[in-house]
Amino acid sequence: MVGWEFPPFHSGGLGVHCYELTRELGRLGHRITFVTPFEGPFHPVEGVQFRSPPRPRRGRSPPASYDLGRLTPRERRNLLERYNDWIAGLEGPGDYDLIHVHDWFGTVGSSRLARRWRIPFVMTVHSTELDRSLDHPDREIWEREMVGLRSSDLIIAVSRHLAQELQDRYGVPEEKIRVVYNAVRPSARVRHSLRAEQTVLYLGRLTLMKNVETFLRAAARVAPLVPGARFIVAGDGPEYPRLRDLAQHLGLSERVVFLGHVSDEERAVLLATASVFVLPSVVEPFGIAALEALVSGLPTIVSKTSGVAEVANAIFAVDFWDTEEFASRTAELLLYPTLRRVMGEAAREEALRDGWPERARETARVYAEALAARGRTL
Amino acid sequence: MKVVLGLHLHQPWRLARFRYLDIGSDRPYFDEDHNLALFREISQRSYRPALGILERTLRDEAEFRLALSLSGVWLEQARRAEPELLNLLESMARTGRLSLLAETFHHSLAFLLPPPELQEQVDLHRKALWETFSRESTVLRLTELAYSDDLARFAASQGFLGMVAEGWDTWLKGRSPNHLFASSVAPELRVLLRNYRLSDDIGFRFSARDWSEYPLTAEKFSRWISRSDGEVVSLFLDFETFGEHHRAETGILDFLGELPRAVLRETGLEWASLEEALRLPVRGHLSHPKVLTWADRSRDLGAWLGNDLQISAFEALKKVGTLVRLAGDRDLLETWRRLTTSDHLYYMYLGGDRQDAEVHRHFSSYSSPFDAYANFMNVLTDLRQRAQAALDRGHPKPRGGKRAARPSMTPPDAGRPFRGTAP
Repeated sequence: MVGWEFPPFHSGGLGVHCYELTRELGRLGHRITFVTPFEGPFHPVEGVQFRSPPRPRRGRSPPASYDLGRLTPRERRNLLERYNDWIAGLEGPGDYDLIHVHDWFGTVGSSRLARRWRIPFVMTVHSTELDRSLDHPDREIWEREMVGLRSSDLIIAVSRHLAQELQDRYGVPEEKIRVVYNAVRPSARVRHSLRAEQTVLYLGRLTLMKNVETFLRAAARVAPLVPGARFIVAGDGPEYPRLRDLAQHLGLSERVVFLGHVSDEERAVLLATASVFVLPSVVEPFGIAALEALVSGLPTIVSKTSGVAEVANAIFAVDFWDTEEFASRTAELLLYPTLRRVMGEAAREEALRDGWPERARETARVYAEALAARGRTL
Repeated sequence: MKVVLGLHLHQPWRLARFRYLDIGSDRPYFDEDHNLALFREISQRSYRPALGILERTLRDEAEFRLALSLSGVWLEQARRAEPELLNLLESMARTGRLSLLAETFHHSLAFLLPPPELQEQVDLHRKALWETFSRESTVLRLTELAYSDDLARFAASQGFLGMVAEGWDTWLKGRSPNHLFASSVAPELRVLLRNYRLSDDIGFRFSARDWSEYPLTAEKFSRWISRSDGEVVSLFLDFETFGEHHRAETGILDFLGELPRAVLRETGLEWASLEEALRLPVRGHLSHPKVLTWADRSRDLGAWLGNDLQISAFEALKKVGTLVRLAGDRDLLETWRRLTTSDHLYYMYLGGDRQDAEVHRHFSSYSSPFDAYANFMNVLTDLRQRAQAALDRGHPKPRGGKRAARPSMTPPDAGRPFRGTAP
């Protein structure tokens, strides 16, 4: 399995996804070599061994940051090329049956390796560069993405919405895509009565794609109707200064709290104590934070363009541009306590139904399919 | 053996999306165009072809009898969306072989609302039938065939000769539903029991390809009826069984066309009107203290008042109803009555049983039960404000600035468990 980050180091959800997936695949009896450009120590997982390229003789190593955005273009290119060349030259195939790559980081090397070893190559797409950049893609990333989409045997998309986008905007044929949703680990059950009465939570990066502006504009509509309501923005990102100014401009200084980056522990506390969760993203290939909210029994409002809306019925899905509807849904949840309680309970029950074990089985079925297409079995 | 065929026609006035932020605006609660468009859609698949078949059969076949229960809100929508349907119905009524059932105009759970709501909604329906068909009904069926001892007493007090109820096994304790019964609390009231097995063979199983009896023909079905014990088999079905739940491609409309004569070809079988069935000898007395319905597998009110959302919505509905009555504004009262239509609560059903949940979703215009609840509560909140405003207009503030004393807002039965309303 070719990835990027892995716990305890991570900057986003990809590392956690790989951790949970490899763990469950290991339990199903699969043996996995997890490939990452970085050196451990990683959280140990049974049935999984880690490999990373040797330190370069010259230059800085290991990289200063997992966040590619913090590297200079040259540092980034060197890192990516070294990583992919090393993948392409791995000895084998030994007893490897299949290569599974996550997102675009290792697609070039994986594609070469799969050809050399004559084994199938499956790619999971967690999000696309076109979405992340709001249609201003980084050319290098986009090209690496295309290599993966073109040369893989099968593609796993984390939502139907993303699968549709891969067809519409990347020209991937429908028959090549399978949908395997994300999952989250069950969190502790929190009694409804322990939750705050009127706290509305946004939790995530502060980027343009996340559309936190709509969260604030809806807050401005709700605030006069619900005098006790408080709004929390947890997370940081490039939009932070603009959003802080906007909150002030909307007269919300007393009602909105910007927490900045929050630790995992704080995140758990927020999910356990808030009364409503809002994720208004313009595009959200899946929306793992919303699934975490649902699992913790927190009533959730997402945009209709969120993948998580496909797996949840006990959720409000709203057009991302519809501030009035976001505001109305928020007010309804704040002001109808029965709705809040029953919807939270239903959300938790529903979100716990399909966990990582089920998602790993679905992933293994995609492996089996890719192998069967070449007349092989696992 | 007599055979009774009773079909039920109902369409709710569905609510438009009414946002929390719409409260206090003049936005209408109901999207009439949407409701009528939906009505026409269903009519095209079901009402028009199936009523056409039944009308022809009633005219041509002197031995055929039919009973229809038409909710008042269905009649309202039919009049606006497809007036030709009313012509068909009037033509059917003129044959003298069509019985009409009485029910609550708004197809509501008025029997759980403070009196005199039940009586007034039944009276409204009687009036509508009289105005449309110049006919009186002698038999009462309540929403989803609700029946209880209290409701039997109510029906008797209103001069009805009989009620229709679900022939549910656990109630009958081994007795066959194919007899005429009387209520043990109101012995003059006859109780006609729906044979749910035979009814469901058409209603649920007709198009099920994995059913061992598939395909069901009118001949086979008539044979089953003739082999039944007892004196009367009552088939009560949702009208939309014909063309909507089972689409025309399944052959359901042909089945409906063939059934009347297939029954008559079986020796010993004859069609009976409700009135004819009620003249059969009474074979026993029945009592059911709690409300029994024909819905879902538990045959209770769980589909409407089974979860906290539904209970909370119904309680709010009651409270607003009290205020609306106090306000004394007829338009507000009629609007509130449209909200009593049971479908609004039905949309808030959370499931629990997969098969039942499927049935519920099929009829909902909402994305989820939570959506249904929020929307309904927004409308109720708005209506409460309008009723309050009307009340304030009727009780102007005295000059001193203090509000005039207003009657209590607590409904007379606050805190009481749900129970049928004895007259």
